[in-house]
Amino acid sequence: MQSFLRVMKFAFQDLGRNFSLSFMTVFILVLMLLSVNTLWSLDVLTTEAVSAVKKQIDISIYFVPSATDKNVNEIKSYVGMFPEVTEIKLQSKEEVLALFREQHKLQIEALDALAELGTNPFGPTMIIKTKEPKDYKGIINALNVPEYKNLIEAKSFDNHEDAIERLQNITNRIEKIGFGLTVLFALISFLIIFNTIRVAINTQRVEISIKRLVGASNWFIRGPYLVESLLFTILSVGLTGLVVFLALRWIDPYLAVVLPSGFSLTNYFESNMLMLFGAQTLAVLLLTVASSGLAMRKQLRA
Amino acid sequence: MIKITGVTKIYPTGTPALRHLNLHINAGEFVSIVGQSGTGKTTLVKMLIAEERPNKGTIEIGGWDITRINSNDVPYLRRQIGVVFQDFKLLPKRTVYENIAFALEVAGEHRRRIHQVVPQVLEIVNLAHKADSYPSQLSGGEQQRTAIARSLVHRPKIIVADEPTGNLDSINAAEIVSILKKINEFGTTIILVTHNREIVNHLRRRVITLHGGEIINDENEGKYKL
Repeated sequence: MQSFLRVMKFAFQDLGRNFSLSFMTVFILVLMLLSVNTLWSLDVLTTEAVSAVKKQIDISIYFVPSATDKNVNEIKSYVGMFPEVTEIKLQSKEEVLALFREQHKLQIEALDALAELGTNPFGPTMIIKTKEPKDYKGIINALNVPEYKNLIEAKSFDNHEDAIERLQNITNRIEKIGFGLTVLFALISFLIIFNTIRVAINTQRVEISIKRLVGASNWFIRGPYLVESLLFTILSVGLTGLVVFLALRWIDPYLAVVLPSGFSLTNYFESNMLMLFGAQTLAVLLLTVASSGLAMRKQLRA
Repeated sequence: MIKITGVTKIYPTGTPALRHLNLHINAGEFVSIVGQSGTGKTTLVKMLIAEERPNKGTIEIGGWDITRINSNDVPYLRRQIGVVFQDFKLLPKRTVYENIAFALEVAGEHRRRIHQVVPQVLEIVNLAHKADSYPSQLSGGEQQRTAIARSLVHRPKIIVADEPTGNLDSINAAEIVSILKKINEFGTTIILVTHNREIVNHLRRRVITLHGGEIINDENEGKYKL
């Protein structure tokens, strides 16, 4: 315990003596972690955006007014057999009429025309959702059979595939750039940490030789540098966490406008905090321990 | 105490430092090892503290063959051998007290014991009044006395002093030798590596003369003969 406390004391002394270099190391580590978090956020956001767009896609099957409930239910059962179908909603003739009236309540001419007809001109409507937008083509083809031809008046499919593809292309590019930046920052951090420890060991060469001379164990000599690695890790992850949460609080109101589903990045980070920052702490710790280990192996070889 | 048998050391450059060295030093002896520069004196010191290993032969300290010593055991060996160097090897940003305490700190000694031992060794080297001074505020002799005090904190059975008077004037040199003699009187074996003729002749103790990596003379009450 006594030795451990002394190792801690020497580690803090080293950090203080090489303050500017320690500061630069933590700064670069924070930059690297910020790029990782930005990449992560972008990934979460694009996934959310793509999923929001996908949720809005469906096919509407408009039946002729003479279509009976039996006809409609038969087609519903047929469509329901497809594994890619996730949801089928039915709107009766009356519901379709009510919806029409609601949507056109300000268009007097349309409502007058409807009144002139005297009867409900609409047939039932079936709204189908699938797992992926590409599944819609298969469903539409499946309904293009002679026995349903007289029952179905029209099929509508708002094709959002192009929009999704474009969104995914942009996402992929951002991910590639982000990954490149992360690797670059990781490399710079590695070199800086390696250099920091090397300089620290060089400036303490005399102290190290004296420690050896008076019988210090290898652990006592290496310990402070390992503790320094740990301190670099804690400081950089802590500072990054602070910056990330401040940035998210600032960004979230803007996101709420773009993503109407009420998605909040702050909530996402809060609920995944342990996993996100745990993984980052582990990665930075491995990076710092590996670089300081290499520097020590080179400098303390004797 | 120390048994050196057939030790040969050749550096990777091909320079032979020691050749077939055979030496036996008893517990409590005060031995001066003399010789010109490059005769292998410092190599012998380095081998005694396991900083160098011989190519051939064995070195036993208290029955422990340190030529086969595990690197993890080296710190324990060094706590049993006090070493004093010509350049003092003191930490400039630490006081006399802290420099001495440092040797105990790295060995994991408790603070209470450090407060007990450091004043004792400062008393032995007559430096109690300089405990709070920094090395830069001390004379060469005082710095060397600090280094000796530090070498004493682990109560070593052997002290190896490699040219401890090399940077000192004759008065300070005499004072250092007098402290080493005092320590020797407590039963500690002293190995003094020097080329100071005056000191060696004045000591009237065992003198081993090295030349070309070999012992050319070994006398119990010897004199500097080069």
